[in-house]
Amino acid sequence: MNPNSGRFVLRLLAVFAALHVLWALLSALLHRDMLPSPLAVYRALFVLDGAETLLHIGTSLGRVFAGIGLALILGLLPGLLMGRSPHWNRLLDPVVYLTYPVPKIALLPVAMLFLGLGEASKIVMIALILVFQIVISVRDGVKAIPAHTYDVLTSLGAGRMERFLHATLPGALSSLLSTLRISLGTAFSVLFFTEIYGTEHGMGYFIMDAWLRLDYADMYAGILLFSAVGFALFLLVDLIEHRFMKWRG
Amino acid sequence: MIDQAAAARQAQGERIPGAGFAARGFTAGYGGVPVIGPLGLDLPEPGIYTVLGPSGSGKSTLLRAAAGLLPDFGGSLALGGRPLGGGRRAGGAANGQAAVRVGFVPQNYGLLPWQTAIRNVRTALRIARPEEPRAVREEAAARWLERVGLGGLERRYPRELSGGQQQRVAIARAFAVRPDLLLLDEPFSALDAVTREGLQRLLLGSWRAQPSTMLFVTHDVEEAVLLGRRILLLPGGARTSDDRNRAEASSYKGGLLQIDNEALAELPFEDKRDSDKFQEQTRTLRRLLREGWEATDEP
Repeated sequence: MNPNSGRFVLRLLAVFAALHVLWALLSALLHRDMLPSPLAVYRALFVLDGAETLLHIGTSLGRVFAGIGLALILGLLPGLLMGRSPHWNRLLDPVVYLTYPVPKIALLPVAMLFLGLGEASKIVMIALILVFQIVISVRDGVKAIPAHTYDVLTSLGAGRMERFLHATLPGALSSLLSTLRISLGTAFSVLFFTEIYGTEHGMGYFIMDAWLRLDYADMYAGILLFSAVGFALFLLVDLIEHRFMKWRG
Repeated sequence: MIDQAAAARQAQGERIPGAGFAARGFTAGYGGVPVIGPLGLDLPEPGIYTVLGPSGSGKSTLLRAAAGLLPDFGGSLALGGRPLGGGRRAGGAANGQAAVRVGFVPQNYGLLPWQTAIRNVRTALRIARPEEPRAVREEAAARWLERVGLGGLERRYPRELSGGQQQRVAIARAFAVRPDLLLLDEPFSALDAVTREGLQRLLLGSWRAQPSTMLFVTHDVEEAVLLGRRILLLPGGARTSDDRNRAEASSYKGGLLQIDNEALAELPFEDKRDSDKFQEQTRTLRRLLREGWEATDEP
């Protein structure tokens, strides 16, 4: 998927337009205020207070990035250790195996109990969702690096740090990015859940608030914005991949 | 064009005793099962030495040990009196001697897939020659890629290069670090005949431009005869004490047979295949490989 290819962008636009036509048809058929027409929603979108909307978006993005950052900090080291050392893999594999299938969203009440309703529980929830994926993908990425990749470096006299920088890290990065793309969607959904409580900022709050005020046009405008931000994040991963994964073609 | 053997002899004149590649009681194995040795040999420096032997004779094991890729082996390997073997064995640098610089070309090219051709060479130089200024290293990387005929393809990633081109990058990388010891582990065995011949010629040319001690492992008899100044024939088969006794009695001195190939090394590459000497050498080697330990007559 090349974000720069014009044909791909055209197809995206076509789908975007088709969805709007479908939406307009449905809303005309239904004729109820629970599904306003696209026109009404976009009108609501453009009269939103710019500064306040940016604050909502910024708050949400801040939480997502903090969650991703925390997950990377927690997940990279165990993943690298498990990939490089059979000893560490034996030690940590049962832990990952046992905890991986636990539906992390079910731990939301636990996170709220222990960390309160503030930022900490929101960020930790996002990190919790991502960290297992990161551990596993980094481990498998590192394991997939053929042993002979290290041979020439070793024969040249490369130390641990040089082997890590030139072989282990780029090998891990490749599978890390693929995982990030997939788990970003999950992280975004969880973000919505965590923004229902204990906050007056963020995209999730905005949508739920509009819902409570029965302001459906605003609610849909919020959903549109939320989706647009998600799409932008997706593009960002694409760009990073395009920049760093050229070698994979 | 300077001749390979002539260049070798010229350098041999100033050779100090103990210089060159040496093995003393070298043994290695996997999981307690010995695959090679005990091996003893002294090779004058510089020169191309081809290592030939049936599969399982431990050719690659010897090379990997010299490259520092075997965690453990018996006996010792040295180049010019400096110990080889990497890790804790390579005490050279710690004893005030410079560590032996090794250029290694594996069969699968051993390029980092995430680095372009030029970056692969630069990375090797940065590791092997950290003391050199960056500009000097970058110039050397570009020059060697140019010399192996990859000018214009420097920014390509390995997957965008053919097998032959990838191996050219690996050869450029090995020479660019100006190694004391060049180790090539069946470098051309995955390539087609035409590409292979081109690369053999390239390798000889590069070596003449920058002579060093080169160990070239191959399972191809003709390749061993075409490239080597001397051919080291390793015996194959089971290693029992009976084998070893027979080895002592045979001409396999020091656990291997050294076959002089100077006469052929002096010929231009183009004329080698058609010469009588080439036919004679390959015939002898084939017979020796077939007969294994039984071989007792020197060619």
